[in-house]
Amino acid sequence: MKENETNWSQIPQKGPVGRTVWQAGIFAAYFTQFIKMRLAYRMDFFVDTLAVSFSMVIQLAVLSTLFSKVKALDGWSFEQVLFIYAFSLLPLGLFNLVSVNLYRFSDQYIIQGKFDRVLLRPVGTLAQVIFESFNVSGLNEILLGIVVMTYAGMKLGLDFGVQELLALAILAPSASLVYMGVFLTITSVSFWHEDRMGLAPPVYNIIRFSRYPITIYSLPVRIFLTFVLPFAWVAFFPATWFLGSEEFGRLALLTPLVGLVVFGGSLLIWQRGVRNYASTGS
Amino acid sequence: MSEFPGKQVNTAILEPWHRTATASVGLYFHFIRLAFLKFLAYRLRYYTGVVSYTVFVSGHYYLYTALFASRVADAQGATIGGLSLSEVITYVAVSWIGRSFYFNNIARDLMRMITEGEIAMQLIKPFHVQTVMMFEAVGESGFRLIMFTLPIMVVIVPLFHIGGPPDSILYLWTFISFCLALVIYSQINFLLGCLAFNMKNIQGVLRAKMVSMDFLTGVVVPFTFFPEWFQRVVEWLPFQGISYIPVTIYLGKRPGDELYAALLLQVAWAVGLFVAGRLVWRISVRHVVVQGG
Repeated sequence: MKENETNWSQIPQKGPVGRTVWQAGIFAAYFTQFIKMRLAYRMDFFVDTLAVSFSMVIQLAVLSTLFSKVKALDGWSFEQVLFIYAFSLLPLGLFNLVSVNLYRFSDQYIIQGKFDRVLLRPVGTLAQVIFESFNVSGLNEILLGIVVMTYAGMKLGLDFGVQELLALAILAPSASLVYMGVFLTITSVSFWHEDRMGLAPPVYNIIRFSRYPITIYSLPVRIFLTFVLPFAWVAFFPATWFLGSEEFGRLALLTPLVGLVVFGGSLLIWQRGVRNYASTGS
Repeated sequence: MSEFPGKQVNTAILEPWHRTATASVGLYFHFIRLAFLKFLAYRLRYYTGVVSYTVFVSGHYYLYTALFASRVADAQGATIGGLSLSEVITYVAVSWIGRSFYFNNIARDLMRMITEGEIAMQLIKPFHVQTVMMFEAVGESGFRLIMFTLPIMVVIVPLFHIGGPPDSILYLWTFISFCLALVIYSQINFLLGCLAFNMKNIQGVLRAKMVSMDFLTGVVVPFTFFPEWFQRVVEWLPFQGISYIPVTIYLGKRPGDELYAALLLQVAWAVGLFVAGRLVWRISVRHVVVQGG
């Protein structure tokens, strides 16, 4: 680790590229620090891995039990639903990895006033808040998602070439941008409205149902999941591209655009919020 | 609320060895009342919970509707595990309505108490932590019944056209059964919280509990959907007494003496787990080391 030799206090004046590299270096150091901290409690990580795998086994048991009653659910086979479910774990894992502080934001940063400290530093506010804490179990979700996706993909006889891997590398992160955008918007509300309860839990609970084929829902729910709370874009639309669905596969290609729009919009709200921020003075 | 701080407390009644049964009842009733008032102060938190519960029931409503439609399309009959579609939807709705009532976080509270050392203060008080926590759970559920369960019912029952039980006396039995569920649930939570005496961090255990509880109690999927061997296993576990028994009582699936047998089974688990909690507590407390503070 060479981080001790770097002089972080020196802000480079090399233009936007130099600045970005410099910022990325800082956040890499944040992550290293966090991992060091976590490694002090190795047992926790182990138990957490067990808990995540356990919950996954239960959800798979439920899914296979339900499918044992029918040949296909609304025309979707068990392996197809399994594939969509497994795909959904990749963006969710990526998002969970960096989203811990969004849930705590209202409480710790606004009410307890930690945000004052964030504002004093010459780096982006959002990046600081996000990278100050990580949820390592996100890595578990990504790993398990890949395992189950490979299994379902093999059962379905999908061939995964360079094109598919490339699509995965683009679709999964763009889908997690949708999550990020939705929850960042909810978090930003606390700049105007201080309350600890928040809208995050009910919205988070909707994620559970965005993994099923959207065709099982009534039209108003489908419209809601596509345009209002765009969770159809985090699992169903992108995953169907790999399944070769004519109807929804084309929509999958819009996922990066949706991700950028939702996340970009939430960024604007966040920045307005930062300008609106008045410290509690504590 | 105002008369309590100023009131003269007769300290003699607080000593367990001098306390009459009536005084004990009065003492523990205070804990019910205090828990009720404590949660009343945080009632705003529960508004978004109503949305969450509606989301859960809606999600399952669509899932089961699609499942039954696909089954009919396959010409495989209109029931699964002995339940028709409308029964399954009633099952899901009553399960979540019940969950909004008996749910509590005793395990997490006890873990905090132990890891933060507050347990030392609890141990010098003249009443048993387990009993106090159980009565606090009763107070919390009393609060939940009025401020959480009722609003959820007002939303869910008309939205999904949830019908009543076949016999209206079953309303009463279902409620009694959910009250017993509350005792079983809080005692399982208490036992899990006791693990914190031996393990430094039980966050992982609590996470595993969160996901497995809804499954093992039958909230997510009715047991009769599962293979025979699974149904045999859960019959021997206390978890069915938390949701599966009260909900099947509501659906009228326990005719005649089966109803009383199911309720007695719940009572037996409630008592058994309470005694187990007492024993585990007695053994665990010997190991407590609290850093001075």
